[in-house]
Order: sequence, then structure tokens, then C-alpha cells
Amino acid sequence: MSAIATHEISKRYGDLVAVDGLDLDVRRGEIYAFLGRNGAGKTTTIRMLLGLIRPSGGHVEVLGQRVRPGATDVFARVGYLVETATAYPNLTVRENLDIQRRLTGAPRAAVAEAIELMRLDAQADRRAGVLSLGYKQRLALARALLHRPELLILDEPANGLDPAGIVEVRELLQSLTSEYGVTVFMSSHILAEVAHLADRIGIVDEGHLLEELDREELHARERGHVRVGASEPQRAAALLTEAGFAHVELADGHLRVFDAAERVPEIARVLVGAGIALTELAPAHEDLESYFLRLTAGVQ
Amino acid sequence: MIFAQVLATEFLKLRRSKVTWLSLTVLSFGPLGIALFMWIVKEPGRAAQLGLLGTKANLSGLSATWPAYFSMLTLVVGIGGMLMLSFIIAYVFGREYADGTAKNLLAMPVGRQWFVLAKFVVAAVWWLALVLAVVAEALAIGGVLALPGFSAGLALGGARDALLAAGVAYLLAPVVAWITTLGRGYLPPLGFALAMLALGNVFAKTGWALWFPWSIVPLSIGMVGQPVQTLPLGSYVVVAFTFLAGIVATILQTRYADNTQ
Repeated sequence: MSAIATHEISKRYGDLVAVDGLDLDVRRGEIYAFLGRNGAGKTTTIRMLLGLIRPSGGHVEVLGQRVRPGATDVFARVGYLVETATAYPNLTVRENLDIQRRLTGAPRAAVAEAIELMRLDAQADRRAGVLSLGYKQRLALARALLHRPELLILDEPANGLDPAGIVEVRELLQSLTSEYGVTVFMSSHILAEVAHLADRIGIVDEGHLLEELDREELHARERGHVRVGASEPQRAAALLTEAGFAHVELADGHLRVFDAAERVPEIARVLVGAGIALTELAPAHEDLESYFLRLTAGVQ
Repeated sequence: MIFAQVLATEFLKLRRSKVTWLSLTVLSFGPLGIALFMWIVKEPGRAAQLGLLGTKANLSGLSATWPAYFSMLTLVVGIGGMLMLSFIIAYVFGREYADGTAKNLLAMPVGRQWFVLAKFVVAAVWWLALVLAVVAEALAIGGVLALPGFSAGLALGGARDALLAAGVAYLLAPVVAWITTLGRGYLPPLGFALAMLALGNVFAKTGWALWFPWSIVPLSIGMVGQPVQTLPLGSYVVVAFTFLAGIVATILQTRYADNTQ
């Protein structure tokens, strides 16, 4: 069973289409990173997953239950953080977490555990209104984790955290997944962080899912490719595939031949032998950031 | 059980809130104002020496007695309460939007209607506590003024009337809550409340007063002090409908409206 399944969900605000026929399938126990530029539809999607807004079309299932007004039981098993971290400014960190404890039915000890987990001990009796951005974020994460949810839906979880805090959250999410089987669905702008953390990555733009990559595909990209400029790119791609190069892509008028760093001479032989002129032949690698920028720039 | 927990969280949210004390401060000026009038009526000579409105207060037909004092207190708590309750409701409901915390309540294993109902209870308890504090203050000030005609029965009757007027004023609170959830902040409900009070005043001068909730409620509050007046059954139906419709509309708004905070 999927942790999250969206079925052709869309959200329209008048003429503006924020999300358009999005199908997502997040497996249990995985960390799924949801990437996109500002306004790509990430937060709108997250809000629909949580029932904060209703889809204009399609429907959402979370932990096997359809999300709809009044269906609240499932949220006992979901922890979340949407956009900016917010809390009651006149209440202390401990009091803010006590509200979450009461509403989720968690035991009393859960508050102290969440405080310890997010290293908020020194701030526990300070009012939330005077906390720094980083500590507010920690409080919001503590709130999301307090009742030990099976599914975490986190919108920019590293927002406002310092580098040490980012590493800490990364390790925390990894341990929650590996030790307790928690599923994490997160959006992020910190692509290097996502590349370290995610089991799968979905890239969204203008409300569409452009591409999904799993960890192996992502690492294959990072392992590198050979960039080929050829006089007849289409025919060159077909020839290379025929010659046994398993992963050939055509983009921006250039070919990218993956897992071929050791076979550059062979590429040259195949193409020149077929009468194709080469304008470029160079090993390259593409990290998630470049891939993301290329992919999302291509749809503008 | 879950409602008890939601209610506990709603009361917890008032902790260290300055607004509760501010509301008490503002309402406590009511008895002070009435006491000033009583003193002017009681001591017109000294009041005139101090340049206060002795002549005008005498012309208003007031007598400096406990029954008159309680009658004015009932009006202040009732009519002033309509505005004060709008502030309370705007704060209790609007702070979730102003603090950005509404989204934290909406994906919880708790039906959203319980939050709405708990907030109505919190506003009612807050309001009741304010009125009781103001009645106690009024009794103390009246004692200092040494107004004639005091009896325990009169004091109980005065307190009862003030509470009744406060209860009547509460009947309009749910509509203000609905406007708060619709407008997602403090300003829309406060603007709405002021506009309705002004409209109620306008309607009070026309034949429509018996059918407009913000005219009917002040008339009802006036009737608490002067029980000889009556309202047609239709007026009670209008106010009852306004009260219930406000609750239902607030629940529906919270349950079905998109939250894009």
C-alpha cells in the first residue's frame, strides 16, 4: 500500500492552474523529495495532501484513506510542517508542544522526548515569539514528530536551520526511516541535501510532474556522462543505442551518453564511421542541481 | 473526551495574553463612568465647581440611587458588551490567522467543528468572567459612593440583569466569528461589528428595528432594565436564527474553505 497516492489531482484558482493532473505514488518507508521552482505547485500539492485545500479535480489518499472534509482519523498518523514554521507566540515551547500532544492523544512524556529530539532543552521554557527562525523551525519539526507519526509531510524542513542543523535534520529523517519505517515526503530547495537524503525525487513544474528519479538513476547522472555534439543528433542517438549504449539522451541539440566514460573512443568510432561529424566529445557529469535547472528551464 | 482536550488547549492559548487584561481594563471604565454620573447627580454643586457636566446630568433625569445605578450598568454591559464581545471573538478566532497557526489545527485527528465550539465556549467564559469582575467592581464603587437604597436582593437582581444583558449581547457573537473565519484576521470582524452597530442605530429609528438583529439586541437589553416593554415573537425568531446561523456558518467555513496560509 502506498503512503501517499494522488489521482490526477488539480487545483485551479480562476484562470490560474496551480496543479494540473498530478499523479504521485509515495511508497511506505521511503524518503520522497518533491522539487520545483517557486510557484511550481509544491506547497499547493502539500496542502491538498493534508486536506488544507480541496482539489478542483482528482483525489488524494494518505495511508490508505481518502482525504476529504471530516475524515480526520488518518491525521493521528501524520506529522506535518507547511511553509513557514508558526507557533503561539505568547506560549512557551513546552506549552506549544503540549497543545499538539493533547490534540493528537500522545502520552505526556512525548513533549519532553520531542524537546530532547530537536535539542530544544535550553529553549523549552522560552516564549515561542522570541525564538530565532532556526529554533522556530525546530519547534515546528518537534510538533510534527511529537506523536510519532508514520508519515511526515514536510515543506522545506531545513528552512532557517544553520549547516549543523541541516545535517542534524538529515540524520534524523534518515534514522526515522531506517529504524522506524517512517515515510517522509518533503519539498526542498537545497538540492545537494536532497541528493544525499532522498530515495526518490519528483520534479514538478507548472503543476506537472516532469520527472521522477530514484536514487540509482540520480547516482548514474552523478557518475557522469559523455556529452556529444553531432551533425545529425537524432541519427547519432539511434546509432549509439544500436551499438549497445544503454542510456542515451537527446537534449539541447546535444547527446548525453551515460555510463560511457571509459568508452569515448568507441563513441567516436561509431559516429565517425557512420559519416557523422563531431563538434564536441567530452566527459561530463551532472549533479542534481544542474539537472534540475536544465529540466525546469526547458519548460519555460 | 476530545472536546475536553480541545477546550483545554483553547484556554491554554490565553495564557500570558495581554488582550484578556486589556479587555478587563476597557470594560472596567464602564462602572467608573456610571459612578461619575451618579456623583455628579448626587453632588451637583461640587461637580459644577470642578467644571463637570452637572447641569446636563441633572437634566437627563437620573437619580443617584442603587436601582438607577444598576439600570445603567445593565445597559453598559449589554450595549458596550456587543462591541467588547466582537473584540473577544475577533481575537479568539482571528489570532489563528494572525499568528499563522490555523494551518496547524486543520490536519489533526480532531473534527474542525470542535475547535469552533471550543472557541465559542472560551469566548463565553472570558465574557462571563469580565462581566462578573465588572459587577463586583460596580458594587465596590457604589459602596464607596454610598448610594441610597441598597439591599442584598437589589444587588442580586442587579447582577442578574447585568448577566442577562451580557447573555443577550452574546447572541450576535457567532456571526462575528463567521466574518473572522471568512476574512482571516482581526480587521474584518471589527469593521463588521462597527458597521452593524451603526446600522442597528439607523434601523432603530425606522420601522425595521424589530427585524434587524443589531437593533433587536439593544432593544432586548433595554427591556432587561425595563421589563414592561415587549418585542414580537418574530424578533426573537430573527435573533435565534442569527445566533444559530452564525455557529453553523462558522463551522462550515472552517470545515470546507481552503486554507492557503
